[in-house]
Amino acid sequence: MRIGLPRALLYYRYGPFWEKFFTGLGAEVVVSRRTDKALLQSGLAHVSSEVCLPIKIAAGHLLDLRDRVDVVFFPRMVWLEDRQYACPKMIGIVDIARMVLGGRVGLLTPSIKGDFAMPHLLAGLRVNANPAAVLRAYHRARPELRRGGCTETGRADRSVALIGHFYNLEDDYVGHTIRRTFERSGYRVLVKEALPEAVLRGRCGFARAIRWVYERELYNAFQSLSTRSDGACVVVSMGCGPDSLVAEFMHDDAEKRRIPYLQLVLDEHTGTAGLVTRIEAFVEMMERRRATTRAA
Amino acid sequence: MKATFPRFGYDTYALKTFVEDLGGEVILPPPTSKRTVELGVRYGPELICMPFKLTLGNFIEALEHGADTLFMAAGAKKCRFGYYHYLQDRALARLGRDYRLVPVGQYTPYSFLFRVMPAAFSVSSTRVIRGVCIMFEKSRLTQYFRTLLNQRRAVDFAGAERLLPEAIRLVEGAKTVTQIRHARRRLAAMFERDGRRPGLTIGLVGEIYYMIEQYSNQEVEKELARLGVEVVFERTLFHHLLHLLGVDPSYHRSRRLARRYLRECPGGEAIRTVGEAVHFVENRRVDGIVHIFPFTCMPENIALEALQQLSEDTGVPVLSLSFDEHTSRTGLLTRLEAFVDLVQRRRRGDDN
Repeated sequence: MRIGLPRALLYYRYGPFWEKFFTGLGAEVVVSRRTDKALLQSGLAHVSSEVCLPIKIAAGHLLDLRDRVDVVFFPRMVWLEDRQYACPKMIGIVDIARMVLGGRVGLLTPSIKGDFAMPHLLAGLRVNANPAAVLRAYHRARPELRRGGCTETGRADRSVALIGHFYNLEDDYVGHTIRRTFERSGYRVLVKEALPEAVLRGRCGFARAIRWVYERELYNAFQSLSTRSDGACVVVSMGCGPDSLVAEFMHDDAEKRRIPYLQLVLDEHTGTAGLVTRIEAFVEMMERRRATTRAA
Repeated sequence: MKATFPRFGYDTYALKTFVEDLGGEVILPPPTSKRTVELGVRYGPELICMPFKLTLGNFIEALEHGADTLFMAAGAKKCRFGYYHYLQDRALARLGRDYRLVPVGQYTPYSFLFRVMPAAFSVSSTRVIRGVCIMFEKSRLTQYFRTLLNQRRAVDFAGAERLLPEAIRLVEGAKTVTQIRHARRRLAAMFERDGRRPGLTIGLVGEIYYMIEQYSNQEVEKELARLGVEVVFERTLFHHLLHLLGVDPSYHRSRRLARRYLRECPGGEAIRTVGEAVHFVENRRVDGIVHIFPFTCMPENIALEALQQLSEDTGVPVLSLSFDEHTSRTGLLTRLEAFVDLVQRRRRGDDN
């Protein structure tokens, strides 16, 4: 059996785990190709123009898999512990996937509601009917879920906090450009993936009110990372509902604490040249600030 | 206490009756206008959805008119709406106004009845329950009024518009259950359409704020009626209140009907939008569906995809319209006319 994994959204967090899990079950895993212009274009034709960039990209990845696999594995994240929801579009994209793919390929879409293991085990049974094999494969793949916690807490010489959803930052289309531009300017990029779970899931201040699981992570990461970097760059996608709200609070905090703040809004028309220019200008501003604080 | 809350179409009067019944003085925000939108856009975040900007504008204008206590629906789930009051509080505090904002949790009816409302108005919960009963009755009246108005408008537009001011006075003035029943009978007599049938029926579905507050959707209902179309709708404050108490049969029907397109609720009102559209198409035999929602609304954009699929499956035309502060009225009217034209042709049976 050939199982397709779209290289979009949750893949950037659980991808290695899924690959290992399904290979362990004896299936052949096919991951869609890296995001490029043509892939995005094909996705645009299939979803409404108003949804955010990652959803459009996800539609492109689904189309890329359409003719190559038997089954597409595309789980639906509804909520994780503590009734923290994923965003409406991430829940709904799974239904859109059914419409995009048509009847041609099977779709394996376990719903994750609080419990992570059970939906995966049940989905595994659909691939390999032997329960013992499923359990074994799950157990073997589980180490992939653990993310590397923070190793260094000290303040680097030049660093910038890059705050954004993992599926935006790790995507090849624009995310990599942002990171590379900062690194080329000699800045170390701090992302939320480097922080320990306990910090990301914290419930202090406004984070307590946020009921979107990934948004709470962003807000906590901002609070924690911006204090030990020279500036914060927040990447949001046009049309992202949760971001439009939480970024506003981050902006406020940055203003209050006088942290250099840059907000980049991504959509399908975003060109790399424009991004690079804005980032370079931001870097220059941080440099000037460093010079003045040293002089004072 | 001078209480206020955002405008909510004709259901503003239902909410007003409720607050007045609890002994609060109500200062309604002036009818939503261009200025309201401008205020909301100026003081709200750039990328937030339209209902936020309108409700913030309403609050600012109400404060100018002397209101001091603001009531805002709250309750954070998957949709942005539940977070509005945090941002509104922040924006108003920046303006340096003197006010008190009371977030009213939607999903906690018991705390609403026994804690929030008794504390806000210093009354007993029995009074609150009585008020809620009157609000129910009144929201049923506004729903009835809108249905009658749409029916009459479709066959006799000018006549219905002539009756409108008096009808609104009637609806607004009814404050007790007896008066509401009386108003109901009067309205039925007023809007009698003498057996005239409209040419077309179109189902209106979409996000609840847009379905109720006519300013936000640039009076889609009225414009459709002007073209001789009877608009049927289901989303009203009455059904929403029933749903919040968990006793709305139409919600469960919508859930059942929407399942073939949406297996899981993506938050907000997407399930209802899709369920109602299926209901209108299958059981009420409408000629077309108009879907309205705020620009970048998350759940409704998912519903949009489902409605496209519904249109493909059944052949019933669907027009999805998203609105923000830049939506042009002329463009909207052109699209509506073209859509009605299309629906009419399809009904006559010539597809070319």
